[in-house]
Amino acid sequence: MRTSDAISGSMAAALGAALIVASADLSPLPRQVYGAGTFPKVVGGLLLLMGGLLILKGLRQRQALVRWSGKVAGRPFLLALGAVVASVIAYVLLTPLLGFPVVAVTLLTLLFLMYHRRGWGRALLIAVMATAVIWMLFAQVLHVPLAPGLLEQVLY
Amino acid sequence: MNELLQAASMVLDAEVILVIIAASLFGLFMGAIPGLTATMATALLVPVTFFMEPLPAIAAIVSATAMAIVAGDIPGALLRMPGTPASAVYADEAYLLGKKGKLGLALGINVTCSMLGGIIGVAVLALFAPRIAEFALQFTSDEYFWLALLGLSCAILVAGGDPLKGAISMLIGLSLAMVGMDSVSGQMRFTMGSYDLLAGISLLPVLIGLFAITELLRSLPGAGQSAANVETPKGKLLDGVAGTTWRYKGGVARGGLLGTMIGALPGAGADIASWISYAISRKLSREPQKYGTGHPEGLVSASAANNAALSGAYIPALVFGIPGDTVTAIIIGVLTTKGITPGPDVFTEQGALVNAIFMVFVLANLLLLPLGLMAIKGAGRLLAVPTGVLYPLILMFCIVGAFSANNSMFDVWIMLGLGLVGVFLMENDFPLGPLILAFILGPIIESNFMRSILKSDGDLMAFVDRPIAMVLAGLAILTWTLIIANGIWKGRQAGRPGKAKTVA
Repeated sequence: MRTSDAISGSMAAALGAALIVASADLSPLPRQVYGAGTFPKVVGGLLLLMGGLLILKGLRQRQALVRWSGKVAGRPFLLALGAVVASVIAYVLLTPLLGFPVVAVTLLTLLFLMYHRRGWGRALLIAVMATAVIWMLFAQVLHVPLAPGLLEQVLY
Repeated sequence: MNELLQAASMVLDAEVILVIIAASLFGLFMGAIPGLTATMATALLVPVTFFMEPLPAIAAIVSATAMAIVAGDIPGALLRMPGTPASAVYADEAYLLGKKGKLGLALGINVTCSMLGGIIGVAVLALFAPRIAEFALQFTSDEYFWLALLGLSCAILVAGGDPLKGAISMLIGLSLAMVGMDSVSGQMRFTMGSYDLLAGISLLPVLIGLFAITELLRSLPGAGQSAANVETPKGKLLDGVAGTTWRYKGGVARGGLLGTMIGALPGAGADIASWISYAISRKLSREPQKYGTGHPEGLVSASAANNAALSGAYIPALVFGIPGDTVTAIIIGVLTTKGITPGPDVFTEQGALVNAIFMVFVLANLLLLPLGLMAIKGAGRLLAVPTGVLYPLILMFCIVGAFSANNSMFDVWIMLGLGLVGVFLMENDFPLGPLILAFILGPIIESNFMRSILKSDGDLMAFVDRPIAMVLAGLAILTWTLIIANGIWKGRQAGRPGKAKTVA
C-alpha cells in the first residue's frame, strides 16, 4: 500500500511531536542544560522538520492519498498479512496454555494447507517433522525454554 | 607470531570448522532462493549465535553471508531472477551468457571471481584495519561522536532515493534506540510504564522483524506457485573460466579493491558495490557495446566486488564499532552482547581474536569454490524447494528466534510490530538501512555526546577543538551539504512534468 508523501510525512511529524512532548519532563543533568531530554528533543525537532518538508512535497506533487502499488495483487498480500499477523498472535496467546509442540504443529499445518495445497496428510506430516527439528535445535541444543505445555508428560 | 599461532589454533578447532561448513550450507540455501537475502540469513542465524563463543558466532555469520551472496548468482543465471539484491545488476548478463550455451562459464565466473574478490577484501582488511586501529587509539568521545554521526550521514547519502525519506528512516531508528533507561542519567524514557521496555528494545526482534518478517510479507503472497523447470549446466563447469578470469584479471582486481572500499563506507554494502563496479567496468571497457548481451567482462568485476564488499564492511565495524552495512550492524550487536565492544582496543587486547576472524574470512572464501560448484550442480533441486513449505517454516523460525533472545513473548510482539512498520516503509520507498544503523549507532552518538559535554562543562566548542575531531566534523558537514544538494536536485527533477514518476 502506497500512501501520499503527505500522509507518511504527517506520521513522521506526529512521531516527532510525540517525542518532544514525552521528553518534556526529563530533567537535565545537575548544573547542565543538557541531559536525558536533549537527544529526544533534537530528534523530535528534526522529525517535525523533515516530516513537514515531506508533507509539502506530497501536496505540491498532488500525489494520490492512498493507492495500490505493489507488484503483487491486493488480495494475496492481504491474505499473507492476515496469515502472518494471526499466526503470531495465536502463537503468543496460545503457547503458554497449550505448549509449543501443539501450537507449532497446528499453525504450520494450517499455513502449509494454505500455501502448499497438497492435502491434510502431507501438511500434518511436514509440520510434525519441522516442529520436532525446531524443538531439538532450540529446546534441546540451545536451551531455550519453549513451553512443552500439554505434552509435558510425554516429553519428559 | 605468537598471536598468529594462537589465532590459528582458535580457528582450527573442530567446533569452529563445523560451524563454518554448516553456516555456509545455510547461506547457500538462503542465497539461492529468490526472495531470501543475505541479511535475512544473518537475522535468522543470530538467535543461534547467541549461544556460541564469539569466534564461532562471527564465523557463522561471515560464512553464511559470503556463501549467500555467491549462491544469489545461481538463480540469476538460471532463471533471470537474482537470488539476492547484490546479484541483480548482472543477472541479465549471466542469463544471456547462459542462453548462448555458456551457462557453465557464467556460473563458473560468478563463483571463481567471488572467491578472488573475497580474498582481496580480506587482504585489504587484514592489512589496513590494524593500522587504522593504531591511529584510532588517540580518539576520544569527541571523535567517536563525529564518527558515528558521519556514519549515519553516509548511510543516508548512499541509501539512494529521496534523502528526505532516508533521513526520516534514520530518525525513526534513533527514536527506537532511545526507549528504556538513559545510559548517562539513568532516567526512564518512553517506557510508558511497561516493565518490558525498561532495558530498551532489544536488537534481535528488531532485526528479525525488519529483515525477515518484512521480506516474508513481501514474498509470501507469491508462495506456492510451482517453480519453473530449471536447466542446469551440463559437462565440465570450469571450462574456460580460468582463461576468461585471467583475461579480465584487471577487472577482478579493480572490482575487489573498489568493492572493499565501497563496503567500508557506512551504509553501502554488497549490492551498491556490484552496481558501481559493473558501471565502471563498462565505462573503462574496450568493448562497452557488448555489455548487456551476455558478455563476461562486467560479470567478472561485479562478482568480485560484491564479495569484497562483505570484507570491506568489517573495517569500520571492527576498528571503530561503526557498521559498514546491515550485516556488520548485526555483528556489532552480537559482539556487544558477548561483552566485546568493537573498537581499536579490541586489536590490542584481543589480537588473537582479530587474527582468528581474518583467518575465518579466508577459510569461508576458500570454501566458496567447492560449495559453490556443488550448489550449481544441485541448483535444479535447490530451486524446486516448494516455497509454500519454506515460508511458513521461516515464519516459525522467526517467532522462536525472536523469543529466544530474552525468552520473552514481548519480543515476539516487537518483531511483529517492526515487520509491519518495515513493510509500510518499504512500500513507500523509505530505505531500511539507515533505520537499523541508527538503532545501533544511536546509543553511541548520545553517550559520547554526553560524555564530551560533561568533560567540557557544557561548552559545545569542545567538539571541534582537536584536529582530528575538526576534520571529522568538516567531513560530516560536507556530507550534509551533499545530502541537501542531492535532495534539492532530485526535488527539481521531480518538479518537471513527466519525470515525476521515476523519482516518486
